[in-house]
Amino acid sequence: MFSGIKTLFSYRELLFSLTKKELKVKYRGSALGFLWSLLNPILTMLVYSFVFSIVLRAGIQEFAIFLICVLLPFNFLSNSVNYGTGSIIGNSNLVNKIYFPREIIPLSIVLANFFNFLLELAALFIVLGILRYPFYIYLYLLPIVIFIQFFLVVGMTLLVSALNVFFRDLQHLITIIMMVWFFGTPVIYPLSMVPERFQFIMKINPMTIYASYYRNIFYFVKYPEGAGFPSVTETLTALGITLLIFFLGYFVFKRLEPRFAEEI
Amino acid sequence: MNGAGKKHNGERTRKSGNDTAVAVESVTKRYRIHHEKIPSLKQTILKLKRTTYEEFLALDNVSFSIKHGETCGLIGPNGSGKSTLLKLMAKIIQPTSGKIMVNGSLSALLELGAGFHPDLTGRENIYINAAILGMKKKDVDRKLNDIIGFSELERFIDMPVKNYSSGMYMRLGFSVAINVNPDILLVDEVLAVGDQAFQAKCYKVIYDFMKSGKTIIIVSHDLETISDLCSKVIFLRDGKIIDMGKPLDIVSKYRAYIEELEKKRIIEQQRAERKKIFKTVIEGNRKVIDGEEISRLSNLSIDGETINRFGSGDAEIINIGLLDKSKKAIDYCSYGDEVRLVYKVLFKQDVEGPIFGIRITDYRGNIIYGTNSRLNSIRTGVFKKGDEVTVTFSFKVTLIGGEYSVSPAVGYNDNKTYCDWINNMFSINVIHRNVAEGLADLNPDMSIEKK
Repeated sequence: MFSGIKTLFSYRELLFSLTKKELKVKYRGSALGFLWSLLNPILTMLVYSFVFSIVLRAGIQEFAIFLICVLLPFNFLSNSVNYGTGSIIGNSNLVNKIYFPREIIPLSIVLANFFNFLLELAALFIVLGILRYPFYIYLYLLPIVIFIQFFLVVGMTLLVSALNVFFRDLQHLITIIMMVWFFGTPVIYPLSMVPERFQFIMKINPMTIYASYYRNIFYFVKYPEGAGFPSVTETLTALGITLLIFFLGYFVFKRLEPRFAEEI
Repeated sequence: MNGAGKKHNGERTRKSGNDTAVAVESVTKRYRIHHEKIPSLKQTILKLKRTTYEEFLALDNVSFSIKHGETCGLIGPNGSGKSTLLKLMAKIIQPTSGKIMVNGSLSALLELGAGFHPDLTGRENIYINAAILGMKKKDVDRKLNDIIGFSELERFIDMPVKNYSSGMYMRLGFSVAINVNPDILLVDEVLAVGDQAFQAKCYKVIYDFMKSGKTIIIVSHDLETISDLCSKVIFLRDGKIIDMGKPLDIVSKYRAYIEELEKKRIIEQQRAERKKIFKTVIEGNRKVIDGEEISRLSNLSIDGETINRFGSGDAEIINIGLLDKSKKAIDYCSYGDEVRLVYKVLFKQDVEGPIFGIRITDYRGNIIYGTNSRLNSIRTGVFKKGDEVTVTFSFKVTLIGGEYSVSPAVGYNDNKTYCDWINNMFSINVIHRNVAEGLADLNPDMSIEKK
């Protein structure tokens, strides 16, 4: 693992180069460029706000902010996993012809999405500032949560990108899995709405815990009635599961990597 | 260990006195060929159906080593394991057993412009492609003008590469690749890039590379290039090393092997064709001319689709063949053989003084030779309805190796209109002896004198 990181470090320029390529290709030829990536969460936010505030009347104040501050980190996960699944196969011309550590391909996808995520957060800060949210109170926690979630995203993306080379139908399955994960994470609803007996299961999902952190950092600073950070045990469990997924993803990837060129 | 971009590592190894650049030790590579495309997740998890596969032995216990500064050529027929070997050396795939050691930084030119993205400009793609090949960004910055200059694409460099022609695309790919400057370069049939002038430039780069003491390993089917460039040649067949050593010896061995293979192929092909023809042959066509068997009964009813034929039909060419000195039908001939080209004509009407001729063309349609009875001052006389005539051309084969087609004709004595003309009715296969190239055999006496 250590030598793996060392090799990866020597290939960092390639990693950044491919990340830049991902971003460039995504926004090349569209006049709005990066704004498109903001449009997606904004539209999602509008739709859900309409459904939950006007149709279902869930009674959550400023639902749009309630939603978006968890939607953005969740999109970082789901976009990375969705795009990452086919990334090795999609780059078969590279994998077949040139040697470099293959994890660079899914990692460049993660980094490109991470970059988007950060830009979206910057936009969120502006909105929060205008709406006078005191988001600076717990802001010091944000880098830590993002850092830990990053490992979860990397682990998942490595795992699915490697497995997809051998089981092509994972590509279709993963969309469904990510949808289940989305509804299994308190993104569009608060965890407190979930019956007590299900909460335990939901807390095994590390994204539930991270969602709670994001929401406390951004949203509950203005509406403290629902506030409350996860307990230390819950946080450590989420961290443990995250590291488990990260190492699983890494080792599965490294195990299967030598056979990539033959299988695609 | 020594991936691209880790130059210092390679140099250290070289200083320590190890002059081996690449060592391949009893390497075996087996590929699995799945019968179904890719097993699905369902099948694998539930083991509903055991996926079946065949193993293909691409390399069978291969060992050799290449010293620093050597230029080594890998030759062999398709599927002999050359490209597999390159991929193994480049670490793209792993050997099933055995070891490969590489001393020094290595760059593999297995495909030019790998990773080019069509929507990005030439300049942007240079950076990405160079990074993929293991170049540092600051090195690319420094060499950018060289790269663009070499590719001769100055005017197009800020245009998306999707607008490039395939030649431009390859040129840009090659320009990036040669600027990576590794200790060991693997090249797989990528030298045929661009026009003549650009190719000459490519070869010069490779020569310079050799002169500066770098190691090159080339896979090519172009034997001229191989014997030109290489200091050592390895001949592979069916995953085994048949022979290795001095280029001229090995290349001529390989040529002999190809020639043998080509002969077999031609015989097989003609046997198959003849079988097909015999199946549908018309009764009258199975006759024998002068007690000689005709090698190929080019039956007109089946060739009608492909053969362009014209004429009045007062006389019909009914079959054609090639015979050797002893009047035996032959499938192919070699340079220098004495052969007889024979065709048979059946007269349907009385014709006075017809002209019998042949025309031989090469595969491009160039007329190599043509003659007729009038040009040979032969008076043919009167032929009655029902007469069968055998026309024979005896000659010594002075054709350069290849396939030639023969168009026989029977014309009226006005030398303008025809009873029957069949384009490309028959083909002559001349076995390659590698005596010359071109169209005509000048058969020169060659001498070289020194003062």
